[in-house]
Amino acid sequence: MVYGWLNERLDLDRFKKKYLTKVFPVHSTYFFGEIALFSFVILALTGIYLLFSYTPSSRLIDVGGKKIPVAYHSILLINSQPLGVIIRYVHHWAAHIMIAALILHMMRVYFSGTFKKPREVNWLVGMVLFTLAILAGFTGYSLPFDVLSSVATGIGYQIANSIPYVGSAIAKFFFAGKFPAPGSIPRLYMYHVVLIPLLLIATIGLHMLIMVKQKHSQPYQNKDIAKSGKILGIPLYPQQISLMLFVFFFTLSVLFFLASFLPVHNVEYFGPPTLQTPMVKPDWYLLWIYGIIKLIPGNWVIPLGSSASISPEVIGGIILPGVIMTIIALVPFMYKEKEPLNYWEPASLRPVGTSAGVAFIVMFIALSITGYQAELDIPIAACRVYTIVLPIIAFFITYLIIRKKREV
Amino acid sequence: MSERKIKDFNKTRRKILKGMLGIAGVGALGSMIVPFGTIKSVSGKKVRQKITKGDKLVYAVGPNAGKEIKASNLSIGKGTLAFPKGKEEHNNLILLFRAKENEFGKPTKINFTNKGFCAYSAICTHMGCTVEWYPEKQFSFDFPHIFCPCHQSVFDVFHGAKVLAGPAPRPLPQLPLMISDGVIAAAGDFDGPIGPQPGGK
Repeated sequence: MVYGWLNERLDLDRFKKKYLTKVFPVHSTYFFGEIALFSFVILALTGIYLLFSYTPSSRLIDVGGKKIPVAYHSILLINSQPLGVIIRYVHHWAAHIMIAALILHMMRVYFSGTFKKPREVNWLVGMVLFTLAILAGFTGYSLPFDVLSSVATGIGYQIANSIPYVGSAIAKFFFAGKFPAPGSIPRLYMYHVVLIPLLLIATIGLHMLIMVKQKHSQPYQNKDIAKSGKILGIPLYPQQISLMLFVFFFTLSVLFFLASFLPVHNVEYFGPPTLQTPMVKPDWYLLWIYGIIKLIPGNWVIPLGSSASISPEVIGGIILPGVIMTIIALVPFMYKEKEPLNYWEPASLRPVGTSAGVAFIVMFIALSITGYQAELDIPIAACRVYTIVLPIIAFFITYLIIRKKREV
Repeated sequence: MSERKIKDFNKTRRKILKGMLGIAGVGALGSMIVPFGTIKSVSGKKVRQKITKGDKLVYAVGPNAGKEIKASNLSIGKGTLAFPKGKEEHNNLILLFRAKENEFGKPTKINFTNKGFCAYSAICTHMGCTVEWYPEKQFSFDFPHIFCPCHQSVFDVFHGAKVLAGPAPRPLPQLPLMISDGVIAAAGDFDGPIGPQPGGK
């Protein structure tokens, strides 16, 4: 009855016919993007829960004779609520899962060649989305303001500060003064809960809008079954929605499982900021940049006149990651396609691209291992060698495998 | 006027109107950016209080925090974080340690040390983390050293805190020391800039 009333006014039948029958191709790798999306939804929901109790301030208050920052104290308060600590851990784990799912999703798009014409724009939108997700992770890391947060965010400040000429102004603007200034935590909080989520929602919306407009790419075996231009798959309602609900609840249950058994960022263990610095490592998705910073020799300084120079931190923390991200963003423009590509292309048809992709993954892992160089007791010189040699070996092995496969 | 001319007029008019619409749109959006340029950082410029001759050193951490450090408190091989009394700010954090007098070599300023006591800035020149005193073996270093936990820079405590490993660009600046009435005190300020410098200066 309610439906009939609404339908008379909003023409829901037309909407149902147009959108609920939208066809979704089926392949397990399509779920990476969905997992990322659902992680974002879970992040928003758990984030709202956390906002009820969190106070963004690094001002010190007296708690039982000990002076601790207000923000840190409010995290202790959240932890003391019946479901507080688990929701906080689910929030943190969801951030890891979202970025991991984004990387897997990007890898699927890369190795299936579907970044090519006509999907170049959506690849770029995806890169923006990925960068925003990492920024959300970085700003979120700072908010508990325990000793780990304050040191890690302080390093972020120093990397920005080391940019010649403009670095100091940029760092002071971004962190509202020299971190940790009184305004730093409120400003990072604003980025984390307002600015970045808004931009993320906008980019995710654009990403999906373009996807709907251009229709899904499909596995190449679909080409032989369905007529060209038609999508072979299942309708959004009820089949795809059931699958989506399954993926959503599966993601949610995995997150609760992880949060229950693997506590992340246990603020009580690390304690409030102190004068001493603990052994800090960045999160795994930034470990490769940390690895680069460790690899660059301290004497790699490019002087720029008398007042400034390009320091190794700028080379390792900004220039090299920037170059790598730019190369990834420009991947679709390295191919010239006349016809739009709507079916997955076997990776072996792009021997150089595929080998470079594998080499990049090996380099990412090698750099991350370098992040633990001191703990693993690997000499830094060895790290420098394997970071360059291993990707090259990976490139040629992949290339040869593809060549051999094509000859057969 | 002929009909054709009117059509052309309409065409030009539309072009001009579209252009004006564009300018208005860009202008309206652009003007919203202007306020962002006027945002001030919350804290004003803070200048570090310089350490002067006679500033007594106090423990910066631990159960004795705030208490003066007596020469008899620190035996050979021990080190601690310290502050100049009354000037307890992060950039004035000092790493004080004691070694045998004959262990020091250049470029340590021997006249800055006093009876085996030696002090460097505790702020790493790389990313501004607090360095630590490691009297024992760690990784491949089996002699006392100063270590930064952030990026594993290692500083040679006996040779002017020069960088032995890791990405730190400069040695830690040294602090001249004196001993008055059995209490360790500074004999002046650090001999170089503290911590990382903006723009890689």
